[in-house]
Amino acid sequence: MQKQYKTKKMHKNETLVAYICLIPSIIGLIFLTYVPLAAVLGLSLTKWEGVGIPEWVGFANYIKLFTTDPYFVDSIKVTIYFSFVAVIGSMIYSLAIALLLNRKIPARGFFRAVFYLPYVLPAMAVYIGWSWLYEANFGLFNYILSLLGIHKLKFIASSELVVPSLALIAVWLSGNLIVIFLAGLQNVPKVYHEAAEIDGANGWQRFRHVTLPCMTPIIFYNLLMALITNMQVVTPALALTQGGPGNSSRFISYVMYQYAFKSGKFSYACAIAFVSFLLIGVFTVILFATSKNWIFYEGGEE
Amino acid sequence: MMRREKSFASKKRNEKVANIVSLVLVIILALIVMLPIWWIFRSSLMTNAELFQWPPKFLPPNWLFSNYKDALVYFPFWDYFRNTMTIIIPAVIGGTITATLGGYAFARLRFPGKKFLFSLCVGSMLLPTMVTLIPLYIMWTRGFHMADTYWPLILPYFCGGGAFNIFLIRQFINTIPRELDEAATIDGAGKFRILFSIILPSIKSAMIVVALLLFIQIWNDLLQQMIYINTSENFTIAIGLSQFKGSLKSDWSAIMCATCMSFIPGIVFYLIGQKYFVEGIALTGMKN
Repeated sequence: MQKQYKTKKMHKNETLVAYICLIPSIIGLIFLTYVPLAAVLGLSLTKWEGVGIPEWVGFANYIKLFTTDPYFVDSIKVTIYFSFVAVIGSMIYSLAIALLLNRKIPARGFFRAVFYLPYVLPAMAVYIGWSWLYEANFGLFNYILSLLGIHKLKFIASSELVVPSLALIAVWLSGNLIVIFLAGLQNVPKVYHEAAEIDGANGWQRFRHVTLPCMTPIIFYNLLMALITNMQVVTPALALTQGGPGNSSRFISYVMYQYAFKSGKFSYACAIAFVSFLLIGVFTVILFATSKNWIFYEGGEE
Repeated sequence: MMRREKSFASKKRNEKVANIVSLVLVIILALIVMLPIWWIFRSSLMTNAELFQWPPKFLPPNWLFSNYKDALVYFPFWDYFRNTMTIIIPAVIGGTITATLGGYAFARLRFPGKKFLFSLCVGSMLLPTMVTLIPLYIMWTRGFHMADTYWPLILPYFCGGGAFNIFLIRQFINTIPRELDEAATIDGAGKFRILFSIILPSIKSAMIVVALLLFIQIWNDLLQQMIYINTSENFTIAIGLSQFKGSLKSDWSAIMCATCMSFIPGIVFYLIGQKYFVEGIALTGMKN
């Protein structure tokens, strides 16, 4: 009887400790995450420009966004274009580097630090530094092109090249993916490789049928995180291009930023925020839905 | 027998060749990755006249470290640095502590509503931060009248430090054998006692990782700094740099000095925590 009482008390105590530990997180989840999310939806159905009481307008903001807004539809295209180039580029780059670093080469730690370094540099400084590299007449890249006998390009000052140029910076910054891939590669069971080798598989076959399947959960994780990050891209536009030239780097987040904080159209900008939330949500759901077909889970876990 | 030995030897040789090829590739790629940083640094040590010469020189003709002194006249780096640190230090401390507490609760404690709270937490990881930007801005500036202060940039970090970091700490705590907790419980230690005497000493490296990740995140958060900070005395490095660039359109040598100065704190913090960093990031990619 007494023992039962004691364990009950202990459980109660454990619950109390847990809630004390979680108070900050619960406050954050409620007031900084889910309530604001609901507020975005609510506000987006009104007309409110920073003063007075929001006036209910139903879906008018959304209709305006998709019919008469001069920037919005293009910004979706530009953002998706950028995300695809940046995500695919950084996935291939970081997986390739991780595969190379996973081999028996000297000074691995040093090289890992080198490839990781761009990630710890402040974004603002990175974009400004790269804008000098992309400079049309005396920049590093045009110098390299001239050595290869190619005509000078305008990179971020050209509406065709601005998105790929910015995506290249994103690839350069993706050192964190390398480290995660590398950790995944080190967890691929050695016995699988040995078994495949005994069966006479060559290097490519081992990569294709052993390494790659074992890496799929990590590829999925990196893909998802890279997609969410890149779909929200805003810093290059803020720091460098101001959406230009023309509208060719006017990303969704930048359009939202301008409407909200430059023109004070808060409720209208909320509609943009909510559409981008749905858009990222759709991509996330698609990724999760297809993941069952290509993610390989080792022998019936869970 | 002979053939088998021969094929074994040739396999060994193949492996060796492959490793050498990999090393060469890694060196080339590392040089390519470092090239932009070198180019920015080398440009900061040259005069504008030297920068606008064709063909560009790979090495600065004279290493003009005095450029930095000149740039500092117009680019008050130390003021910006102090302002940035005024945000970062409390935010990083708050974020690390609250993420650790949250991670501990999810990793070790049983309580009603755990599954629900945890899925809310993971769900918020998938929620883009830009979506909630406007309501939060209204809350901080209209509700709490904190426009042009650092509070909107600091206080959120005292509220959990981000789902990702909670998750990271949880992953780390899961690698500590539960037997240690159980032994301590038998000795009469409470849950807080276990946290302080068993868990915390073993997750120091994870906490350093969280601190570094928060550092980078805040350092890079140009958008929020731009919307909350208005007066130039309060500027952070990121905003200051963007203003500096805007006012000096083509004085590239001075701009590159300012850029290099902004690189330094990140590099220093990274070098200090590098060992833990790689370890910790690696864990985030693991299956739960």
